This record gives sequence, C-alpha cells and structure tokens, in this order.
Amino acid sequence: MQAMDARKVENGVSKVDGIDENEQRASESEVRYGISDTKPKRVKAYILENNEWKDTGTGFCVGKIEMHTEINDDTEMMRAYLIVNDEDSPAEVLLRSQLGGNIEYQRQEETLIVWKDINGRDIALSFEESVGCDTLCEFIVEVQRHVESNISLVAVKSNDNGVGSVHEIITGPVALPSRDIEQNEQTLMESLRILNENIAFEFLKNETVEFVLQTNYINLLIECFHKAESEQLLKELFLLGCIVKTLVLYNQRDILEQMVEDDKIYGIVGMLEYDTEFPTMKANHRKCLESYPPTCKEVVPIDNEDLKLIVKKCFRLSLLKDVVLVRFLDDHNFHLILDIILDLQTCIIGFLQIDSCLDKLLDLYDKKNDKEEGIINKRKDGIKLVHQCVQMSKNLDPIDKSKFYKTLVRKKLFKLLDYAFHVETDSGLRIMATDTIVTIIEHDILLIHNVQNEDYDSQQRNDEPECRKDLICGVKELNSLNDSGARMDMSLLLILSTILLTDKSPGLQEQVAQALHTLLHPDGCLSNGNENENSPIHDETDTSLSNYGLDREELGDENPNGNNGNASYFQIVDYFANFYKQVAPVIFRPLSKAGKSDEAKPIFTYDDNLLIHLVKLVSFICTEHDRRLSREFVLESGLLESVSEFIGPTHSLQLRLTAVRCLKNIMCLDDDYYHRYMISKELYRPIFLLLQENINKDNLANSCIQDFLKIISISCLVNKDEFPLENPSVAYKRTNFILLNKHVVQRYGDVLSEAHDIKFIEDMKKCYEEQITTEKNKWENGEGAAENHGLILVEETRTLRRSSHSASSDSDPEEKERHSFNHQSVRFKKVLEKINTVEPPSAILGELMRE
Amino acid sequence: MNCNNSGKTYMVTLEGTRQMNLDKIIILLKQGKHIREDCVYSLCIQAQELLMNESNVTHVDTPVTICGDIHGQLHDLLTLFEKSGGVEKSRYIFLGDFVDRGFYSLESFLLLLCYKLRYPDRITLIRGNHETRQITKVYGFYDEIMRKYGNSNVWRYCCEVFDYLSLGAIINERVFCIHGGLSPDITTIDEIRSIDRKQEVPHEGAMCDLLWSDPDEVDTWSLSPRGAGFLFGKGEVDQFLQTNNIELIARAHQLVMEGYKEMFDGGLVTVWSAPNYCYRCGNVAAVLTIDGQLERSYTIFDAVQSQNGMGHTIIPTKKPQMDYFL
Repeated sequence: MQAMDARKVENGVSKVDGIDENEQRASESEVRYGISDTKPKRVKAYILENNEWKDTGTGFCVGKIEMHTEINDDTEMMRAYLIVNDEDSPAEVLLRSQLGGNIEYQRQEETLIVWKDINGRDIALSFEESVGCDTLCEFIVEVQRHVESNISLVAVKSNDNGVGSVHEIITGPVALPSRDIEQNEQTLMESLRILNENIAFEFLKNETVEFVLQTNYINLLIECFHKAESEQLLKELFLLGCIVKTLVLYNQRDILEQMVEDDKIYGIVGMLEYDTEFPTMKANHRKCLESYPPTCKEVVPIDNEDLKLIVKKCFRLSLLKDVVLVRFLDDHNFHLILDIILDLQTCIIGFLQIDSCLDKLLDLYDKKNDKEEGIINKRKDGIKLVHQCVQMSKNLDPIDKSKFYKTLVRKKLFKLLDYAFHVETDSGLRIMATDTIVTIIEHDILLIHNVQNEDYDSQQRNDEPECRKDLICGVKELNSLNDSGARMDMSLLLILSTILLTDKSPGLQEQVAQALHTLLHPDGCLSNGNENENSPIHDETDTSLSNYGLDREELGDENPNGNNGNASYFQIVDYFANFYKQVAPVIFRPLSKAGKSDEAKPIFTYDDNLLIHLVKLVSFICTEHDRRLSREFVLESGLLESVSEFIGPTHSLQLRLTAVRCLKNIMCLDDDYYHRYMISKELYRPIFLLLQENINKDNLANSCIQDFLKIISISCLVNKDEFPLENPSVAYKRTNFILLNKHVVQRYGDVLSEAHDIKFIEDMKKCYEEQITTEKNKWENGEGAAENHGLILVEETRTLRRSSHSASSDSDPEEKERHSFNHQSVRFKKVLEKINTVEPPSAILGELMRE
Repeated sequence: MNCNNSGKTYMVTLEGTRQMNLDKIIILLKQGKHIREDCVYSLCIQAQELLMNESNVTHVDTPVTICGDIHGQLHDLLTLFEKSGGVEKSRYIFLGDFVDRGFYSLESFLLLLCYKLRYPDRITLIRGNHETRQITKVYGFYDEIMRKYGNSNVWRYCCEVFDYLSLGAIINERVFCIHGGLSPDITTIDEIRSIDRKQEVPHEGAMCDLLWSDPDEVDTWSLSPRGAGFLFGKGEVDQFLQTNNIELIARAHQLVMEGYKEMFDGGLVTVWSAPNYCYRCGNVAAVLTIDGQLERSYTIFDAVQSQNGMGHTIIPTKKPQMDYFL
C-alpha cells in the first residue's frame, strides 16, 4: 500500500457514464477481438482523497466491454470499464472507471492495481488473491491491444535487495521507427533513438522485433541507404550504419537470418561499411563479399536448392561474425550467431548423408574415372571438400558426428584417403587427408574398426572392394593377415607409419605422429574420444610420471560401452597385440637393432626430425601401453640402445634432449627390468657426456640433465624415508633408484664432481656414501643378517647378468622366467601374474627371487 | 607409396627461405602480410636453436624495457616499439602472452621472433600461460592459423617454439621478471634452473605456477580462481625478495586499466601492454623501463589507429583467406 501514498490528491468528481449494457454486443466484441468480460474478483477499492487512501468498500470487480454509438457519425465504438459492485448489495456500484486516454496502470507486487483515471482520480484496487489481480491485468492488456492503444500496464516490484523498485512494461503504446519511404537525418536520428530505447524493455523489444520482421523494415533501410549513398549524404549513411548495428544488438535470430538473405546482404554489409568509430573512412565489406563466388564451389553438382541456400546463409553469417561485425559483437551476439551457424551446419551435415552427392564425390576416386576430363583437379578439390565437412562437423553433437563419420566410412571414404596417400603429391592435400582421418579417430578410435566389421559381416562372401585391395597391396605385411577385424586398423596404422617414415614435410610428419599417438592411446580406445578432443598432442610425458602402464583389469572395468564391454576388451587386446606384431616392427625399423649387425643399417640416413618423433613414440609406448607387451618389444628390438646413441654429439640438440627425456620417462616407471637393462648396457653414459659438454652452463641441456639428476636424488630420499631407520641396509639394497644412484656415482663421479652448481649431486653422493657405509657395517657385524644380505647381492648380480644377455639373445629376463615357471607350481604363476599386472615394488621381486 | 617428390621440393624451398633476409620478413610482418608456411617453419627452427641456448631464467642488463601481454594486437605492438625507442636502440623483455584474443597473433609472435633472431641480445621472450597448445586451441590462435593457412601446421611449428621459451628473466640480479607470479615450490630463483622447460605447460607444479599465479590481498598461498597457479600475498613477496636479494618482481598476466599497478609497497608490479584489450576494454597500456640505477619509469600508450603505407587506417579483421566449399 505504500506506493499508493505517493499519489497526490486531485479533486475531481467522477462522471458516471450512461449504463448501456448489451449482452449480445459484448459477445460480438468477444468474437471479433477475443476480449470478453472478466469473471468477478473480490477486491477492496480505494480512492485517494486529501493525500490519504480512502476505503470505499469491498466488492467484486469485473472488466467490462460495452458498445457505444457515436452521436455524430453513427459509428459504433467499444469502451472498456473496470467496475466494482458492492459485495453486500450487488446493485450498488462502488467504482466505475473507464480505460482510456494514456492511463498508466501499475501492478504493484502481486495483488494491487493503481492508476490515475481520465478524470485525475487516483484509484487503487487491492485484490483478495493474486489470481484475481492476474485476471484484471490480462483484461487491461487485451484492452490495450484492441481498444485503447495508448493505455499501458507496468509491473512494479521491489528489488531483490529491498531497496528501490523495478519497473517492467507489460503492455502499452510502443514508439516505432518511421516507415516513411522518404527519410532524412532527423527521422533516422529519431528511429535510432527509438530503437535504442526500446531495447531496454522486454515488451518494447519484442514489439519492435515484430515490427522489423513484419514490415520489411530492413528493406526500407536498404532503399534509404542506396539513395543516401548516391547523394553522398554522409550523416545519413553513418546513422544507417548505427541503426543496423542496433538491430544486431537486439540479438534476434530471425532478424539476423533476414539480414543475410539474398536481397538484403549487400545492403546490410554496405551500411556497416559506415562506422562512426572510424568517421573519416569506409570499409570495403561489399568488395570483400564480391570476391567470393556467389554460391559455393561444387565439386560434384548439388541438385538441392535448399541445401545451397543453407550453405550460403552459413557462409554469410560467418562473414558477419568474423569480418563485418567482428569488433562490434559482444559475447551474447557472438554466441547467438555461433548457435545459428551450428544449427545450419548440423542441417548441412545431416543432408549430405541422405543425398547422393557423397557417393558421387567418392566415385571420383574410382579407377574407371581416370580418363575423365579435369579429374585430377576434381579429385584434389574433393579432398578439400571432405576435409571442410569434417572440420565443420567438429562442433557438432557427438551423436551426429558419429553418424556422419560412419556414413563417410560406409560410403568408402578410404577411396579418397587411398588416393591422397598413394597418388597425390601435394603435401598440403595429404595433410588435409591426414587431418580428416585424425579427426575421425580422435572422435572415436573404434569407429572405423566397427564399421569395417559390419561391412565385413554383411559381405563376407562378396568380393573385396577395390579400394581395400589397393590399400592392402600397398602394404606387404598385410598379406599375411588372416584376422579380418584387425585388417583395417592395422592398414591405417601402416599407412600412417609409412608416411611418417618417408614424407619429408615437417607439418605432415607432426600431424601423422599425433594421429599415431591418438590411435595408440589405450585411453582413446575406451572413451568415445570426447574427453580427449581438446587435449594437447602428447608431447614429452614428464608431467605424467605417475601415469603407469595399462592394467588389464582396468580395461574391462572402465569400459563405458557397458553393453559390449567384453567384446571391446578383446578387440583392444587383439588390437595392441596386432600392433606389436605387424606395425611396430615397421615403424621402429630405424631404431631397431634386432636381427642385424651394427653396420647393416647406419642410423644417420634418417633425419633427426623423424627420429625425434620416433623417440617420443618409444617413450609413449613404454609409459602408456601394457607394460609386458611393450617392454618385450622394446627390449628385444634394442630400441633403447638406439635412443641412447641419439644423445651423442652427432645429432641435433633437439633430438639429443628428446632422447634424454625418453630415458628419463622410462626411468621414472621404476620398472625393475628397464632399470637393470639400462644400467647394465650403460645407456645412461651419453647423458653424462652431454653434461660434460654443458658443464656449468646455464642452458636448456643443463636444465634437462639437472631435472634428471633431481629425479634420482629425490627418489633416493623418498625410498630412504619409506623404510625404517633400524634397517637401512635393506632400504638401500632393494630400490631401483638406489641401485641407479650407485651406478651413476661410481661410473660418472668425475663428471659429477665438476658440476659444482648442481646441488642434487651432493645429495646423490651423500646417499651413495651412506649406502656404502651401512653395507660395510653389515658385513663387519656379520651374524644372521649377513647371510640374507649376501643372497640378495647374488640375486642382484644375477639379474644384471641376465639383462645384459637378453639384448643380444632373443629372450628377455621375463621371457626366461616365464618358461621356467611354467613347469613349476601354481603359486609361482600367481606371483608372476601379480608382477605383470601390478608393477612390483622391488621388494616383491626380491622375495620372489629368494623363493 | 612414393612421397619423395614433395619432400624434395620442400627441402629446396626451405633452403631458399633460410637465406631470405630477416629484414624483408620484418617489413612484411609489420604490414600484416601473409608469410609462407615454409618460411614460418624456417623461422621457427632457427628460433628453437637460438632459444635452446638460453637459460630458464635469462640474465639481462639495464637499461631495459619490460612489456606485458600483447595478445595478438600487432598494431599496438608496433606502437609500443615506436613509443619506447624501438628494438634497434633499446633492450626489451616481453613477459609472454603474445598470442590469442587479438586477430594478429601470428604476426605479433613472428615479429618478436624475427627481432629475437635479428637482435638476439636486445630482446628476451618469456613464456606466458597462453603460449601452450591447450590454451591457444581455445582462445583464438589455433583458429587464426586455420583461417589463414587452412591447416594447422603453422600452429604446430609455433607451439614447438613456445616449449623452448624461457620461463623468466632477471635484471642486474635485482629485478625478477615472470609472466604470472610465484610458486610455493620455488624458494630461490636458482631452483627454477632444474626445470626441464621443454614441455607443454603442466597443470600443476612449479612451472605451471610461475605462469599462472596472481598477487592478491591474501595472508598466505591461496587457491586461484583461474583453476591453475596460486594467489600469493605481501608475505610471500617480501620473503621471496629477501631470500633472493632482489627488489622487484615484474609480472603481467592481469589486465590493468591504467596500464600498470604497483603492489606490496612497490615490491611487485603488474605491467599490461595491450591497449583497448580485445578491441573493447577501453584500457591504456604501459611498459616499464628500468635504468642503470634501477629507477623505474613507465610509458603509457593508447590504442592508436595505425596507418598503412597509403595512409589508410587498418581496421583489424579476421578475413578468411580460403576457398569455401560449404
């Protein structure tokens, strides 16, 4: 009731209009305009007198429409009233007030309507229920729409914080821009003012949007623009520019879509060439627009006109977003345009799948078309087109993406890729083809596999499709393949491997390396790839020291495709087994020492850039893949010896450091076999030669090696802390890092002593000395512990010896263990399984050895 | 599978561009002109080789001008050089965030790289939190490259260079320069040396903190609302200054409407060098010059409408440069 008090008293006697009720006519108005009298609602009516609200009684309020005949010209007029009848004696009228003039009705909070009527009386109706108030407010809205357009209804609500109030227009007269064909500076200025004002209130904004859409207002502006431009009326041109920008700020999809229609786009970007921020110049958006072809480039004819229209719209909206309005759009506008574009793109991608144009496009790569005129350029453009489609699809919903990619693969996308990888020589196009395949596998690594399987099932008896034969012929290794499921995956991996090994374009190499990482990432096989979408390409893995090899049990458990979890699990096991059987020997051939003498294949024929990628890949498979599988391959092929050689001074520093990081990552795995192997083969030696080169220098090489030493010293400290002080000798004996520390200090102590500025070296030496001292003490003290201790030492040397044999012979230490254990008790097998699944802390290994 | 043809032509052009005059490339870059992909590659490889020899915390002598975030605002970067003496005459430290947001990330970054190659001891480039693969994929640099080249190669080359950038600089052993701020894992500047910086910026740890942290009115290390790095207060700054015997930490990383802001009794300063950030924030920009006596002086500059050779204003845009099929 507070707000009512604000109203001043104005003495005025209400003129009682003649009562001329006519039920029939009233219902006519209902038919014609949809307005009907309201149901009675219980209210208290107040009138302001002498600055005080006077209660005139309680009654029922109705909104009523009456028809009146004008005396002058005999026309019929509707009039609307709010009438309150006394609740005790319904015949008595407590209030009768006509709606008209420019009365502003205020709805205050939920149950109050307050206004000053035509005669200046301040009136307030306090409703018993908010529903009653709603009913009468709806009546006022209808009357405003159809009878008295100048009245208005405003909702007044107190602010959330209780201070001040918010006014929201519910209905009322709306000032709209002039629609005169003839416009001038004044009228345009006025239109701009109105548009700017209306944007602030939801109601006014909606009415204005309606106006713009219904009256073809944009075309009117464009006509004014052409006139103003031909007469060089600069001020009008800048005003028109402002008006268009204001319309963009309305942030209405329909308006934006109208702006890019054929008959409007040139006018719109033309007006936007005049920007008040740059009052002395004009942009050249129209020229820019003209520089693009009027429709999209059609590699194969597109028959559907609707599709062409959508493509055009999409392009023009992007142009508005990225060029014409780029400095102007705020986040809201920007996202709205993005949303529209996304909708249109979804539409385009959806359409491509049902239309025949994809088939026609991919048919271009059939051999039978080789003779066709201009086929080479068409095939080149086809690669670009498919690349663009796949790029576009990146923003789509994952389900839509899957659908599209499956369609592509089913329609024999591989014909195109095969062409790109085997025939095409332009590395730009080869990159696009790689990017296309990377996008698909990043989305879902098993998608291609699955589609190929369904393909295979359905046409088991049919002839091999031509394209696949081609692919397979390209890669000899595949001939030996009997497993149909693995065929496609492995041939893709082989193609990528071959590109990596033979193509000299660094961009393509990088991209292919990324594709291989994605394809070979065990996590990628488990998720649908969505999580990985934005993850950076897998680089040095220093950051994921704790990211150990894949546990087989985890594979099954974490499979999100619950329904066919087991099938996927076996697929994945097969997949990686096949990789190590067929692909790994090919891709790592430059690093492999297996089966050839040292001189047979000198490494320097490969360029360092390629070797960097391969070394990173070694690091990747060691750290990310199932440990047993990858370790067997890595050790048998002698990859780490090559990696260690790359640290030597004949290579680029980039490669040398990449190789250091690779050994570092493997060291961080804390794997007993790797540790003993690398120590016995002295693979760390080149690192200390590199340190010698960079001794006391402050550069990247030095930092890289400092990091290496830091890891050793910290790991030794951690190990020391983990074990009780009473029994330090055990702690020192059994951890890999203690072993490594000893090796490093003993062998490379002289280099380390020169590096005065590396503080970790002190820690390492101290650790070594403590270890020696405790060992010595143990020996001297003799007794029970010594026996035990001696045994461990023997075991240690045995392991070392075995590791060094393994590289030259064909069995690694584990292989040997496995053979011998096969004939032994089940218990051993169990322990062995433990080692293979969970990485063994060396204590377990020690125990195992003792048994 | 015969790929040797393309490989051969590539190597030839690469050799060609190696000899291409840096000054010519600089002129093209200043005009915002397109630089060929193989030329960018050659620049990036040369930059790698140069940056590898720098330390994680580079030593720099006075006088030197410290510059904050640039964010691809090429024309404002040109103004910066104009207002502060130019690389031919003055020494510069750039505190990172060369790319993203603005429309000329590539040109801005390459210009700085070219200056680095041309005048190696006059310009020091420090890595910012935007110089990573992950961030540039989201905040504009990646899209810019796709728009300008139609593939991501150039983005890859640049990201590789990012990995080689220094993490910080120290001026006359008295002023420590870093993009973000301090890290609870780093007590002495010397400890930064044992980071193997050639990697994508990790999500946690010392290297991440140095690039991501912010100063704030907090009592101790606090969680950062950015989701990476920490907030640190006067206590941490005073401790760091004392331990390392330095008098100032100069950093960037946060928009300052006035261009610079000193905090904690002048123990730390934020320098911001992208005027009218994102072409709409309305801020001014600043650079900080430290002279031989370690006195500080700030140069403030505004986003000036750049003119090209013909006197036409350049309005930054993101014009696509490729065919459209769809």
